[in-house]
Amino acid sequence: MGDKHQQEWNLLLPLLPALLIVPILAVLGVEPLDLGFAAILAPFLMFPIVLLVGQIWNGNDIWVGKLKEGGILALASLAVSLIAAFWMIVHFLSLHEKKVHGDSITWLNFDVLSHDGTQWSVDAGFTNISFGIWLDSVSIMLLFVATFLCFLICWFAIGYMTTDEINSNRNHRFFAEFILFSMGMFGMVLADSFLWLFIFWEIMGLCSYLLIGFYYWKESAAAAAKKAFMTTRVGDVFLMVGLLMLYDIYGSLDFAVVFDDPSTGVGGTVVEASKLQPALLMLFIGCVGKSAQFPLHVWLPDAMEGPTPVSALIHAATMVNAGLYLVARMVPFVDVYHHGVPGMEELGLIVAWIGGITAFMAASIAFVQNDIKKVLAYSTMSQLAYIFLGLGSALYLLAADHHHAGYFVLGGALFHLFNHAMAKGMLFMASGSVIHEVHHAHHDLHHHGHNDDHHEEFDPQDMRNMGGLASKMPVTSIAMMLGSMSIIGIPLIGGFWSKEAIIAETWLGALEYEPLLLGPAILAVMTAGMTGFYMTRMWMMTFAGQPKHEASAHVHESTPWIKTPLVTLSIVTATTGALLASMHVGEFLSGEEAGFHLGVVDALKHTFFPEKQALMVVGYITIALSSLVGPIIAMKVHGGKLADGESANGMVAWLVGLSAAFKPMDVSGMANSRLADSLQNRLHFDDIYQWTISKTITPMSAFSAWFDANVIDGIVKLVERTSVSGSMWIRTYTTGNTRDYILMAAVGALSIFVLIVGVSQ
Amino acid sequence: MTFTDPLSIITLVPLLSGLLLLILPNVLPQHISQRMQSSVRNVAIGLSTAVFALTTLIFLGTIGQIDWLSIGMGSFVLETEDPVWLIESIGVTWHLGADALSFPMIWLTTLLIPISMLVQWDVERGHRFHALLLIMEGALVGVFVSLDLFVFYVFWELTLVPMFFLIMIWGGEDRKYASMKFFIYTFTASVLMLVGILVMYFNTADSIFSGSLTGHHFNLVEMTEQARVSGLIASEGLRHLVWLLLLIGFATKMPSVPVHTWLPDAHVQAPTAGSMLLAGVMLKMGAYGFLRVAVAIFPESTLTFVPLLVFLGMASLVYGAVVCLGQTNLKRMVAYSSVSHMGLIFLGIATMQPIGFAGALFMMFAHGIISPLLFAVAGSFKHHYHTLEIGSMRGIAHHSPFLAGHMMLGWMGSLGLPLLAGFVAEVAIMIAFWMTFGWWVLLPAITLIFTALYYLTSMQKMIFESDDPHQGILPDTLHGEDPRDVTWHENVGMFILGALTILFGIMPFIFWDMMSVWSTEFIETYLIHAMNALEAMP
Repeated sequence: MGDKHQQEWNLLLPLLPALLIVPILAVLGVEPLDLGFAAILAPFLMFPIVLLVGQIWNGNDIWVGKLKEGGILALASLAVSLIAAFWMIVHFLSLHEKKVHGDSITWLNFDVLSHDGTQWSVDAGFTNISFGIWLDSVSIMLLFVATFLCFLICWFAIGYMTTDEINSNRNHRFFAEFILFSMGMFGMVLADSFLWLFIFWEIMGLCSYLLIGFYYWKESAAAAAKKAFMTTRVGDVFLMVGLLMLYDIYGSLDFAVVFDDPSTGVGGTVVEASKLQPALLMLFIGCVGKSAQFPLHVWLPDAMEGPTPVSALIHAATMVNAGLYLVARMVPFVDVYHHGVPGMEELGLIVAWIGGITAFMAASIAFVQNDIKKVLAYSTMSQLAYIFLGLGSALYLLAADHHHAGYFVLGGALFHLFNHAMAKGMLFMASGSVIHEVHHAHHDLHHHGHNDDHHEEFDPQDMRNMGGLASKMPVTSIAMMLGSMSIIGIPLIGGFWSKEAIIAETWLGALEYEPLLLGPAILAVMTAGMTGFYMTRMWMMTFAGQPKHEASAHVHESTPWIKTPLVTLSIVTATTGALLASMHVGEFLSGEEAGFHLGVVDALKHTFFPEKQALMVVGYITIALSSLVGPIIAMKVHGGKLADGESANGMVAWLVGLSAAFKPMDVSGMANSRLADSLQNRLHFDDIYQWTISKTITPMSAFSAWFDANVIDGIVKLVERTSVSGSMWIRTYTTGNTRDYILMAAVGALSIFVLIVGVSQ
Repeated sequence: MTFTDPLSIITLVPLLSGLLLLILPNVLPQHISQRMQSSVRNVAIGLSTAVFALTTLIFLGTIGQIDWLSIGMGSFVLETEDPVWLIESIGVTWHLGADALSFPMIWLTTLLIPISMLVQWDVERGHRFHALLLIMEGALVGVFVSLDLFVFYVFWELTLVPMFFLIMIWGGEDRKYASMKFFIYTFTASVLMLVGILVMYFNTADSIFSGSLTGHHFNLVEMTEQARVSGLIASEGLRHLVWLLLLIGFATKMPSVPVHTWLPDAHVQAPTAGSMLLAGVMLKMGAYGFLRVAVAIFPESTLTFVPLLVFLGMASLVYGAVVCLGQTNLKRMVAYSSVSHMGLIFLGIATMQPIGFAGALFMMFAHGIISPLLFAVAGSFKHHYHTLEIGSMRGIAHHSPFLAGHMMLGWMGSLGLPLLAGFVAEVAIMIAFWMTFGWWVLLPAITLIFTALYYLTSMQKMIFESDDPHQGILPDTLHGEDPRDVTWHENVGMFILGALTILFGIMPFIFWDMMSVWSTEFIETYLIHAMNALEAMP
């Protein structure tokens, strides 16, 4: 085994020339900002190559063995994007500017007429639509997240996808769609206008559809792909309407024009909140769809039908952040401290409420999931909702001119986006590692043992088949532990720093300024405790206790393609939280000198010794719920020591031992309750939507088809029949006499002529 | 009398050579005609490719050195200079010209002809089929280049003839009914349009184009100028009547609800190439004629009837999409989606905004690229699986990966995915629609959800859900054979259309710029006076 994988490092050699492309471009004098085009184009140009070559050379030895069915080519193009992104980030940081805007290329030229009170004329205030690169602190953070995670997950996917027989000779499709998706994500982050943001947003939606439906022969995958596309499409259509409204207000969709002074519209008009707020709410509906928030959340759990790297990439780390990114882009509109439009408090409250509701709902559904990926899917939904909650509070606080608190929570929310993307990307890859190895162990067992096929009965994703993997998968178990700790918010690790800022400032807003924020604030604290429970439950069911299925007893970690990204992200998750917090990341992300949060000491002080007594109480309750109460209950229910003779390394062994030390708790009564049943059915949202569609759209379309064929076309057919019988009647006048015919023709022609001349004179 | 200018060549060469290729095998001796029959398709595709190359060279400016962005409203490029009399007594001239409204359509026609020939490369009785397509090309180009309403009308009706035979001879089981319905339905509507044209004719003032006998002329340029300066018809009621007559003719061709039912029947029965041309170019004749004749000459009537336009457009768009959802036949679904998309063109025109007009123009062009792709996919599906029922064949991604890929691209293009050609048109029309009609924009916007729904449902049932070639097929359609992927010529044809869909999605400005300039000038020249007058009214 070892030798075989040692050799595979040779396969990375084709990456070397790709690494040189960006430095060469830079030496040739390409502006650092224009490297953004290279970052977008590299995967875009590689997409058709991988797809078509893979289709034509399907099964070819070199293609499969050396190029991993296009995986190496995809990785090379992502390496180009990664280096270009680093180059741009370094350039941006060296400039010490708040934003950098490159030259833009005109895409569509057109004119708009407007009425100035006396007459219609071409209005020069409306600009054309162009494309360029825009960098500010938010976009470079997301650019780093996107390029870094796309690269690592592609690396992981080479190991995950190409070792599974079911994918062989199909992987080129996977890698092609993967890099097309990456191109969409990079483009969305770098675009300098709302329209191009939307364009790349839709490209990601397409790739999400294609990748969820990768196992196209499974009916569940086909249905899930359609559901994902349709649900996000509902949001996207409203997003598009929002764009139209925004264009009408500002005469442009370019960030440079709109953000220059959001309170001034096209032609120097004053922008009114009553016009702008509906537009932003329309945009927000799009964000709700894309980021899987209540009530458009139903697609995300089903999207787990896709291969695990897809779940890691699209449905945890990158695409679902698009909605958050767009909401973060709304900040300048409401920020009355800097030319914002006054009177838009409602927007922030709506965002915060949607976030609070989704966070709580998703966490409660995650309680009862047994599929390891579904737990992570609901966890993603819940954590994204946290970020929405933070952004909503920020939007409210900024609109109400409490800019200190507003910028603080904005920075915290965006920092949570970073922490969550890193941790959740890793968690999905770790779950993929588990699924991959359990599946292979099961496969090997059947191959070597009795030959009767029970494949369909065994679900390698079901945690009830796992248990006791801690000793067999050391790297994966540590990675998953660190990821879970970051998501839970165990003090000093990853997500703790950011989640604390969100909860504290939302409470501050609720207590000091707006009682309506109290609802989301309470939900946030409850969800923190629930997160502690369901993440610990997942880890315990997978890694602690005894193997619950013979396959789990024969698992072992194998390919370095899978381990490398896990190790890398473990380090990132474990360290960057504190590291970045000490580097004023919150201020950097919110783009403002908020005057506090000066490094890690202040961050700690803000957390543990805030100035307000009430916040201190809230903070300690949150930490107690999420780090103690939730995990301990989970350990009591699902923990247990490993099988005899098995031992795990250091921290993992301690954790497993700790879980075994608690007295087990029996929850079967609760598990059979009606509430649990309702949670199993995802609170019946899917059923209700399904029922509504089957009662409205389905009969309506059937009726329309019938109406068209029988009423509208029926009238046409009636005319046909009448004219046929009419011609039968006319036939009685066919005397066969030529003179009669000439007479009739002459009379007819003359009467038509007279009619026309008479009418027209 | 010369017919050697580029526009005459691209009109007459295909027309006459098509006629020649059709007639010659019947008059020549047996052994020569048999040898000729096998080479007709080579000649036809060679000729049409040459015509396409010529059109492309005109576009690039190599021929004629044309600057498409500064033609000027009311003037035309490659225009016939002196009137060439065809019927001097009543004032019919051979008068051709192109501008930014017609040229993209001309280019599209010359592009689609060789592609549709390629897609049906090995059709039975191909020597007649490909010759008919050449005649079709001449007639279609003729509609777009002629600036004489008489010649325009002749070409307009002439397009029906080859299409009638294409459906009648090479169509499906119910071809006889469909071809007769297609012919009679659109012919009846055109006759009403002819009445309108004749009324306009009898109101023309004296000019160099006037016929020696009647003192009137059919020249469109003159008529438009006369209408702009002094109004073509004095009586307002008659103006509205003529406008409505023209609308009936054009709306039936487009087609708009409620005069659309000939289209699904014609499409389902037509051979693939016929469907491609029907959806790709023939439908656009309606929108082209509407802008060129009805809107340009009767701006006041157009403004008066804007609510009617919105109603027709909205009805086509929304109703067409909902009917699509209820279809089980692939070609019928695609046909209704054409009805739905054509509704957007009326909506774009009704906004009376330059960006809305430009969006409508680009929709004509983009739909002209995408819908032939859709019909090529549907035709290949029928060709290989002998059925058009959605869901009768599942999992074509497995046994026809190329067909599945083309289908995916075409469907996505048609539902308005960004970076594919249709999106630009949709977004432009929607921007204009919001500016003019405000929250009504939610209707077309929500229709986009329905559009996605019917396309995705059909893909789910055809591309996905199986990898067993014999699961879900109607029992007798494959006759026990294994399904195969598309043939090379179908594949090449669809690849070209797919590539163009992407190209014009990423670089719409290739044609968009001239359309946008044209739209602004058109509104400023013909409509803005009427708009100001309307606004000034209490």
